Amino acid sequence: MVASSSSDTEPVQVEIFPSRFLTPQTAQRLLNDIYRCGGVRRIMIQGPNLPRKVSYGPGKGLPIEEHQDLVLQIGEEAIELKVQVGRIRLELAGEEYIPKVEAACERALPFSFSIKRGRFFRETSTISDYAKYGRNIEDRRILGLIDPKAKKDKLTVLSEPSCDTNEE
Amino acid sequence: MAYTPQYYPGTSSVDINRRKHMSGNVEKLRDIPEADVVLTMGHRLPGADYPSTHPPLKEIGEPACPVRELVAPTPGAAAGDRVRYSQFADSMYFGTSIPYWRSYYGAINCRGCDPGTLSGRQIIEARERDIEDYTKVIMDSEMFDPALAQMKGCTVHGHSLRLQENGMMFDMLARTEMGKDGNVYQVKDQVGIPLDKKLNLGKPMSEAEAKKRTTIFRTDGVSMDGKVGARKMDEALEALIHMWELRTKWGYRPE
Repeated sequence: MVASSSSDTEPVQVEIFPSRFLTPQTAQRLLNDIYRCGGVRRIMIQGPNLPRKVSYGPGKGLPIEEHQDLVLQIGEEAIELKVQVGRIRLELAGEEYIPKVEAACERALPFSFSIKRGRFFRETSTISDYAKYGRNIEDRRILGLIDPKAKKDKLTVLSEPSCDTNEE
Repeated sequence: MAYTPQYYPGTSSVDINRRKHMSGNVEKLRDIPEADVVLTMGHRLPGADYPSTHPPLKEIGEPACPVRELVAPTPGAAAGDRVRYSQFADSMYFGTSIPYWRSYYGAINCRGCDPGTLSGRQIIEARERDIEDYTKVIMDSEMFDPALAQMKGCTVHGHSLRLQENGMMFDMLARTEMGKDGNVYQVKDQVGIPLDKKLNLGKPMSEAEAKKRTTIFRTDGVSMDGKVGARKMDEALEALIHMWELRTKWGYRPE
């Protein structure tokens, strides 16, 4: 997910690592809380795949009803959830947003979690990026967000949030 | 004096549990109906005849052989049943019986079976009526926990992943679900084919109970080594760490 935001300081990247996998409801609550904090330039959610069909064995091809129609409503965007959310990587517009993200995690997560700073998104393009996007990438924030070889577009662009949870 | 096998060394709870699993002296914690075990395995419908691959041994007329006379065939072999399997995956978050101990249990206690050990799952193959009996014993005992051990015939992902919010091991095919009454229900067979009815597997163990019954060493449970661990640092462990270091940093080159 890409959101536009501006800050006077340098962008920072953080990784939220919950001690449990999140249900779609908890993931939606957390992502909305983070989104409302503002300052989010990039979000990547990662976790094990939730297949729509049984892919192997005697039941191959049978639909997995539990994984159908999993949708996250983030702001005004509906995002199809294809993974069990286990890790969230963020690029924030500045350091001042990190405490807000921590507060959002404490509000949304009913179990322990860790947040660490680091560099989690690529800044240089790979050969696969070049094959998909060409030489001149208009918005370099897409680098490191998605697998350039993915068959489906998994990128969602969010607009600037209109409210701030700190006032709640 | 009768011989008592000594299966495994150590005095920690993990060592004791490992000995219990190897000896087959496991505690029965629940009683899952035999029909539910058969449905979960998914090889045949409960009450249906056992398909066979050969006539009963009595009808075949076996050749004279001292070993055959000495070793009585299992009921499944005597009847000529097909070979079928059950496969379990155990969470590394204090799963009840990590793969090698399921295999030890099978190899030592289950006649006519073929255990196979993999990193995150363990399969036992045997004649159909034999494997049904063995699987029921396993699922009724402390070797099984509805949340941390699941029968997964395929797509076994989950052993090394974090648990879900409700404390269940991740399952890509959603074969089990946590009911509102706190019981875990089997909703699909081990290969992900939906069942006609939900099968009650009982309540999952609490975290303390799982830690008490687990066979896995963990730093946040019973540690394998260290000052309070089950093993004292000895020459073998130091050599192992040395080999690991060589492998990790430079590739293993014994010269």
